[in-house]
Amino acid sequence: MIIGNRKVSYLEDEKILNNGYKKAFVYTMIALAIALPFFADDYTILMASLVGIMLIAVVGVNVVIGYTGLLSLGHAGFVAIGAYSVSIIHNVLGHWGVPDIVHPWVALPGAMAVAALIGILVGLPSLRVKGIYLAVATLSANFIIIFLIEIDTFSQWTGGRLGLTTPDPNFFGWVLDSQREVYVLIAIFSFATILMVQNLFRTRIGRAFVAIREKDYSAEILGVSLLKYKLTSFAISAAFCGLAGAMAAYFYAKILPEQFELALSLQLVAALIVGGMGRTMGPVYGTIIIVLVPELLKIGMGAMMGNSIEAAQLRAPIQEIVFGALIIGFVLFEPLGISQIMDRFFRALNRWPFARG
Amino acid sequence: MQFAQFVINGLMAGALYALIAIGIVAVYKSTRVVNFAHGYMIMIGAYLYYTFAVLIPDMTWAPSWLSSWTPEWVAQARVGAKMFSPTAALYDWIPNIPRIVFGLAGAIIGSGLLALFIERYLMRPLLGQSNFSMIMVTVGLISVLSGFKSLLWTGDAASVPHLTPNPAFRLDFFGTPIFIFGANFMSMIIAALIFGFIVYWLRHSSAGVAIRAVSEDQSTAYSMGINVPRVFAQAWLIAAATGAVAGAVLSARDGVSPSLGLFGFSVLAIVLMGGLDSFVGVFIAAMLVGVLEALVQWQMGGTWVEIAPYVAVLIVILIRPHGLMGQPEVERI
Repeated sequence: MIIGNRKVSYLEDEKILNNGYKKAFVYTMIALAIALPFFADDYTILMASLVGIMLIAVVGVNVVIGYTGLLSLGHAGFVAIGAYSVSIIHNVLGHWGVPDIVHPWVALPGAMAVAALIGILVGLPSLRVKGIYLAVATLSANFIIIFLIEIDTFSQWTGGRLGLTTPDPNFFGWVLDSQREVYVLIAIFSFATILMVQNLFRTRIGRAFVAIREKDYSAEILGVSLLKYKLTSFAISAAFCGLAGAMAAYFYAKILPEQFELALSLQLVAALIVGGMGRTMGPVYGTIIIVLVPELLKIGMGAMMGNSIEAAQLRAPIQEIVFGALIIGFVLFEPLGISQIMDRFFRALNRWPFARG
Repeated sequence: MQFAQFVINGLMAGALYALIAIGIVAVYKSTRVVNFAHGYMIMIGAYLYYTFAVLIPDMTWAPSWLSSWTPEWVAQARVGAKMFSPTAALYDWIPNIPRIVFGLAGAIIGSGLLALFIERYLMRPLLGQSNFSMIMVTVGLISVLSGFKSLLWTGDAASVPHLTPNPAFRLDFFGTPIFIFGANFMSMIIAALIFGFIVYWLRHSSAGVAIRAVSEDQSTAYSMGINVPRVFAQAWLIAAATGAVAGAVLSARDGVSPSLGLFGFSVLAIVLMGGLDSFVGVFIAAMLVGVLEALVQWQMGGTWVEIAPYVAVLIVILIRPHGLMGQPEVERI
């Protein structure tokens, strides 16, 4: 908490951007995100889009893990559902002869709805089991979803193991057929997602989630329906993951089932832990670290060892080790994540030159 | 009656699941940590077995008896034995004994050291913290272990020697022929023996009683003079040793490959199905899933096998949230 900001009305206190630093930071980020497609090179756009896609998903995961306190290791499954639903809806609408311009308006909400429905289904065990049991139940759901995408029975829709060619969305007659154009869409949705989730926790639903996280039985005694809110939490989080999947489908030319396996679920949770659970900015910091650290490693190793074959062979394992070490290191030494470090930093900045810490 | 053949295959696979499950249950019982990385520890065990049983004995500087121990009488008996008979399999196996023993010892000691390191430097600092952080550390371990594996062992799937002789038996079961591979059958026996021994040891030795006491209530056990950190170390050692044996058996059956790590997840599902803190329940669940997988393979084909344990665990968890024989946790507000 940053102190030293005087508020004179409740309205001021209730604002999302309730102090000057936050305002300055958020507006700068928005300006940067808007300016990016005009001057950045393709590589920067690629990285920014990857961060954006993952950010939407991590914000979704944050709803379930960070705010509701239900451990889920299967959210990559919902991302997969979103990605495949959006592509399939586009294909089906195209088959029916619906004009292109209508497609995204059906496909995006459709994908989110399908993901939310599956989310409710996967969340069902959460009513009876908690903690580790739920983690394994969601993990199992992830395996099953990927399996259903891969089997031959549905391969005429999903493309099976070979993957699915994804559509280019047409917004108001503007076809987003390059990564730079899709980046704009991703940036808009990333901001919207963060804002929506931040707002969610000023409502009855969000406060119910937090009550369940603190102690679910106590929450139930106080009149919070566990059935309703645990499933709502899963639905909201799955819907955001579905949106992330839809963005991924628009962004890549082709999606493959193996993109959405357990490794992605672990990445989502890792980003949340590194960034800080149950915090608005947590997913932002975490996603940036999780996406950019492997890239920095690649660049660093390239500078040190050149582009030899040995360096390329070493790279993947070292990236894996660093990824795991990040999770372990943050759990051991800074369980509240980077948001906590940033809080400390801002607090010191705010009070400077007086008390630190 | 193909049925009997598949049930027997399933039981043999189930025994292996049970052997792997020991590691997860032992660690959970004493430390309340569910080790998501157990499959990857098994993978490391398998690669250590591969190193000590294949790579090192095949080096030029290794003594010749290590790679192939053929005393005079074995060589003679081998010539006399009939092709493909059990005796021939036995005499084929005898020269491999030194490398198998060396490999097993290397795998068990190596995994044991790894487990002790994990327990001491990653788990113990989290004593008393929430369960979530310990689980997340094991999740982080997944990528660290798999990264180290690809760093140290670059080769892909390779084959390693079986622990026991591997003759093929053809039995007659009410008029239908049943094929059993000796090594699979023997590994079922080994797994069952180790499982029985560990359960017996937990029930009747003082170290076992200490583990059970810690699983009941950590702080009370501490105040009664039980060395809780040592109990944790023991539990991790049990997990490492059984995991190393399982890794050796599995890699002899399927070849050494990184996919051994994923195996751990299906065993995790089995453990939850049986009940995290019940050895008996886990044994039953392991056998059930083994047979289920074999029947699924028989009726629906190989691809469905990979999700059979996950579907089974989802159904069981929905009906009995704490597994077949697990104790429900009582929560007080």
